[in-house]
Amino acid sequence: MHFLHALIEGSRAAFLSIRAHGLRSFLTTLGIIIGVASVITVVAIMNGLSSNIRGQLDDLGSDMVTIRAYTTPDQELLGFRNKLSDSDFRLLQSKLGQVEQISRMMPAFSLGLSVSYGRSSTQTQLLGADSAYQNVVRIYPQQGRFLTAQDDLKRRRVAFIGHSLIQKLQLPANPVGHYISLSGDWFRIIGVAEKRGSLFGFDQDNYIITPFSTATAINGPDNLQVEISYRPKPGADAAQIERQVRSLLRAKAGLSASEPDHFELVSSEKTKAQFDKVLDSVTWVAAGVVGISLLVGGIGVMNIMLVSVTERTKEIGIVKALGATPQFILLQFLVEAIVLSLFGGLIGLILGYGFAALMSLLMPGMPDALVPLWAVVLAIGFTSVIGIVFGLAPAIKASRLNPIDALRFE
Amino acid sequence: MTVPVIQLQQVGKQYEMAGETFHALSDVSLDIHANEYVAIIGPSGSGKSTLLNILGCLDTADSGSYLLSGNAVASMAENQLATLRNQQVGFIFQSFNLLPRHSVLQNVMQPLVYRLMSAAERERRALAALQRVGLFEKKHHLPNQLSGGQRQRVAIARALVTEPAILLGDEPTGNLDSKTTADIMQLFDELHRQGHTIILVTHEQEIADHCQRVLRMVDGRLVADQRKQSHAGVLESAEQSMLQHTNNLASATRLLV
Ligand SMILES: Nc1ncnc2c1ncn2[C@@H]1O[C@H](COP(=O)(O)OP(=O)(O)OP(=O)(O)O)[C@@H](O)[C@H]1O
Ligand SMILES: [Mg+2]
Repeated sequence: MHFLHALIEGSRAAFLSIRAHGLRSFLTTLGIIIGVASVITVVAIMNGLSSNIRGQLDDLGSDMVTIRAYTTPDQELLGFRNKLSDSDFRLLQSKLGQVEQISRMMPAFSLGLSVSYGRSSTQTQLLGADSAYQNVVRIYPQQGRFLTAQDDLKRRRVAFIGHSLIQKLQLPANPVGHYISLSGDWFRIIGVAEKRGSLFGFDQDNYIITPFSTATAINGPDNLQVEISYRPKPGADAAQIERQVRSLLRAKAGLSASEPDHFELVSSEKTKAQFDKVLDSVTWVAAGVVGISLLVGGIGVMNIMLVSVTERTKEIGIVKALGATPQFILLQFLVEAIVLSLFGGLIGLILGYGFAALMSLLMPGMPDALVPLWAVVLAIGFTSVIGIVFGLAPAIKASRLNPIDALRFE
Repeated sequence: MTVPVIQLQQVGKQYEMAGETFHALSDVSLDIHANEYVAIIGPSGSGKSTLLNILGCLDTADSGSYLLSGNAVASMAENQLATLRNQQVGFIFQSFNLLPRHSVLQNVMQPLVYRLMSAAERERRALAALQRVGLFEKKHHLPNQLSGGQRQRVAIARALVTEPAILLGDEPTGNLDSKTTADIMQLFDELHRQGHTIILVTHEQEIADHCQRVLRMVDGRLVADQRKQSHAGVLESAEQSMLQHTNNLASATRLLV
């Protein structure tokens, strides 16, 4: 028989068989769909998350360093709590030469507080900061202005607010000049920050910054906990500055050589490295999920194929008795397996994209669903191979049998 | 005399069962000519199906030689065997063996799929075959929407559609009631009259009675091969003996007178 004829008739027979065994075809396809769709979804979400977070970390700039108090677990057990104070800040401010910008920040009401405007109120976080803070952290006003040295000096009750508060408090579109109430005290809004979006699902635009002196007054003098941030001058030796910070602060606290630092230095470089570690483990988890879904899909396909071996062997016996050649039978089964795999793969792909797109719609800050080619190839390749191997293996076996043995197969 | 359609020479088939060799067929030699109408009878387990499967190339003999339309089957490759099954043999099973999810028409067209033939031509021939077995109207039914007798007619149409040299039936009426059996046998009789070569395995004497030649098997051996005279022959001999009688009568009368 001519190959072309066999190909046409084999494909025709394959399509006929796919239609005739509707449920079986559907279940096979379903296995492939599950495998492919979940791989695509997981990979797309992972990809989106990591590129999103990386982008935001890059926004922070790589050179900002934050110094904050650190209490070792041992000290904590003894009931100690280390602090950095305003005088530490002043010391660094006056002694650090290679620093372009240095600022201090202090969380106030660290447990969060409620803020209200008119009838709306919400939970937010209040920070006290000096005027340099905006240059170090790089939050810039979208409306109004940031805090000035004057605000600090005069201990003004003014508020520079994060962008989400406009919506949360139902403030007017330009809220500058309006008053909000913080635990019964009135603060005038002087500016609104540019939007930053969310990181790890946390809203980064829900905060109020007030002058450092105002926050000090609110917290009371005993409850000062200062965070110091700086940016080295361009081209400065960051490590050298860190060493200087360390020796200045240790000397001021009078620590002996054996005692640990009572503070820590956090740079966005370090944060990025940590994040990469986290991302790595999340990637492994995702790989596990992907593996399991491929396995589930694969086992599904395999099962359907194996369950129908008896039926199919008998069918092969019949067509062999009618004069089908082994090649014809294999061609038919191959076409059938390929068609089902590709069809399932395509649907899985579309579904996967759909889920991923839905997720990026629902999760703020997620970029558009992005699926790398390798994931598509892996998912469709794996399930197709399973489908083809387990669809073809019994057919190869059966097509070699005597027709009578195939017909008798139980 | 023409070459026989089927020539068996000392054909044997054995199975190894638990270390022992079981001879399902031994030393079967046999010629069957075109347009013969043959029944194979014998007790259960005597090797009737084994023999018929070998004749239909569904199974192969372990020894001896088998020529089908002059071709030595034993030396054939798988693809040649497939061609043989497709072109020379129409096999009818006791349990029909239709493709359950294919329509009647698709089932009957199936053997023609393995030939270089346009789909239209396939359909034309399949419909003609369905017409012959009286199932033209049921062409779009599925097998499970038909009665047993109708299913067997579909199977017969499928066997006929390739215009095979031999039609083989392994207890083709074994699953049918007596009324349906009679219908199917009538169909075989008709096919025989139209020139087909038919070989049927059966348990039932009434079915063997339809045939002109009865092969009897016991324990894998062919123990009897009876040819009945054709109806025409029977008539002729009856006529002759009548004549003889009349002649005898005449001479006797003459003697008496
Ligand atoms: N695949 C096989 N393996 C082992 N033994 C077999 C096999 N096929 C047939 N036999 C044996 O060969 C013998 C002949 O079997 P066969 O089917 O030809 O009998 P039969 O005359 O058709 O019987 P029945 O009238 O019951 O159909 C039986 O004893 C059977 O057990
Ligand atoms: Mg039998």
